[in-house]
Amino acid sequence: MGLANAIEIDDLKRTFTRRAPNALARLFTRRRTGTGTNADGGSGAGADSSAEAGPNAAGLANNAKRPNSLVAVDSISFDIRAGEIFGLLGPNGAGKTTTIKMLCTLLEPTSGTARVAGFDIVREPARVRASLGTVLSGERSLYWKLTGRENLDYFAALYDVEPSTAHRRIDDLLTRFELTDKASELVERYSTGMRQRLSIARALLANPPVLLLDEPTAGLDPQSARNLRDVVRKLRDEGHTVLLTTHYMAEADELSDRIAIIDHGRVIALDTPTALKEHIQQLHSVEVEIDRAPDGILDELHSLPLVRGVECVQSSNGHETWTIRVLTENSRQTLDALLDLLRAEGERVLNLRVAEPTLEDVFIALTGKSLRD
Amino acid sequence: MVDRFRTWLRRQFRVIGAISRKDFLIFLRYPANAVMSVVEPIMWLVPTYFMGLGFSVNGEAVGFAGFTGTSDYFSFAMLGMFMSSYISAAFWGMGFSVQEDMTLGVLEPNWVTPASRVSLILGRSVIMLLLTTINSIVVLAMGAVLFRVNLTGNVLAAVITVLPMLIALTGLGLGIAGVVLSVRRAGTAIDISNWAVTQLSGATFPVSVLPRPLLAVALALPTTYGFDAVRSILLGTKTMLPLKAEIGIMLASMVGMCAAGYAVFKAFERRCRRQGLLGTH
Ligand SMILES: Nc1ncnc2c1ncn2[C@@H]1O[C@H](COP(=O)(O)OP(=O)(O)O)[C@@H](O)[C@H]1O
Ligand SMILES: [Mg+2]
Repeated sequence: MGLANAIEIDDLKRTFTRRAPNALARLFTRRRTGTGTNADGGSGAGADSSAEAGPNAAGLANNAKRPNSLVAVDSISFDIRAGEIFGLLGPNGAGKTTTIKMLCTLLEPTSGTARVAGFDIVREPARVRASLGTVLSGERSLYWKLTGRENLDYFAALYDVEPSTAHRRIDDLLTRFELTDKASELVERYSTGMRQRLSIARALLANPPVLLLDEPTAGLDPQSARNLRDVVRKLRDEGHTVLLTTHYMAEADELSDRIAIIDHGRVIALDTPTALKEHIQQLHSVEVEIDRAPDGILDELHSLPLVRGVECVQSSNGHETWTIRVLTENSRQTLDALLDLLRAEGERVLNLRVAEPTLEDVFIALTGKSLRD
Repeated sequence: MVDRFRTWLRRQFRVIGAISRKDFLIFLRYPANAVMSVVEPIMWLVPTYFMGLGFSVNGEAVGFAGFTGTSDYFSFAMLGMFMSSYISAAFWGMGFSVQEDMTLGVLEPNWVTPASRVSLILGRSVIMLLLTTINSIVVLAMGAVLFRVNLTGNVLAAVITVLPMLIALTGLGLGIAGVVLSVRRAGTAIDISNWAVTQLSGATFPVSVLPRPLLAVALALPTTYGFDAVRSILLGTKTMLPLKAEIGIMLASMVGMCAAGYAVFKAFERRCRRQGLLGTH
């Protein structure tokens, strides 16, 4: 491609206006009785759905009180170099999907701009799309009533793959993603992992220089997720530039050449995983496991001197235990204070550990909160 | 220049062809679809037949003949239905297909490809129009055998006459698709407008029986003239305006509707990019 930067993002901003459910929509929509018009339960839509639920009058009244605009992506600027895997890491609602949707021209920026493979996303959207393979999240993005091969056949025409070579290209992709055996089966019979592989195969049909992957491993079992990460690395090795979003620290750490940490629409850190971790190398994380949910003490811990962040997670192994992680500049001092506090509250300590910082800790140090919040 | 246009045109046809193929494959995978599309019109035709019979004296609907110049109510209604299925194809084939794609989650994967979004919408109408045509011919043939419909006129002339109307309806469909993009659940609205346009164009009765205000609306619909013209060619009914004038109106509305439909679609598509697709959030 010859360009040093595959993607250049310049002061990109996107706000969503929360209108009263628009007049046109209200006129045309058959309102179901009872509450909950929005049965979709989409991610991060929580705040929005209340506007459309319930009877008209209440909807309008609520609406007047709520802030009328939300900044989903707040003036971000960075470049993604050709040939790298760039991870956009952040919690739900951080603005990752919105960024991807602007880059693939589904959404217009409110202000600012970006270039993909040298083309402006606002002025040259068709060229941008021709340089991109985009995989949005959600396994419903394929035609379930078509076979895997039929799906690829269809999209090959849309991606303008030369008809004479399309057939071979599809065969290659099916082989590469281990879908050849299932190529003639309807996608509705595929597993989640197979659907995700087919979606990536689709994005590769036109062999685009740049790939956008929105949460590619979400919903996959650990084995499929690992395989998928291998796939992403191979794509990079073949010369594709990959922008992927994730809210898994470990994934961003393992895969990315560089990471931008995004929170509330802002990039709060951008560097290689190693540099990001070095940045807080002087920090330590203290983990204590206790047998009930800690109520008041998290705030108290937060206000201790030298403490940079606190998070608490319930154990995922089915036991009723909670782990508090405290990120501190001095583990010894904090350890004492922490144990005192726990004892005073009558908590029983089941386990105690002082650990090296992880990327997760970088996030906690930067934002004072956990990724999972 | 010419070469680039040709390449561009070939691309659009390829996209529309791929969509048609895909839609047809999916259509075949729901066998109930195929059965219903033949059974449904017959379910509708049978009562019409007996209704027409009920109002007839010696097989001639005399009162009806006063309005239309033919005493064969059943053939009149059947042709009306034949053509109103094209109105449905415009409303449902394009308008509703956008909503369907949004609910299924396949709209965005289509829209992130370099294919033109107008072509992506237009493509959805092809199979619907084709199936409608095949379907109508089957029903017409059955009608001819079971209910002795006799079409005397020149079928080719009738087809050429309604062609502008079909193109106009495609333009309308594009506009409807645009509206649907920003209205989350448009099923009811599509249903009602489809029904209103069909009825006011005179699918089952001569519009001249309508009260004045409704007649005014009817006369503003190009489909009214399409129905009228085709019936006059095939059944020998008398037209409301001279046939040439009706064809002129249809040609003008073809240009108008296509331009308006395109503009409306573009406006809503832009709006969608500005505000976010409602259906997917
Ligand atoms: N179409 C939309 N309309 C209104 N608000 C939206 C829309 N899309 C996203 N948002 C809001 O923008 C914020 C960022 O969302 P998103 O980019 O999906 O985050 P992420 O992908 O990082 O989880 C969220 O608060 C979300 O509710
Ligand atoms: Mg997201």
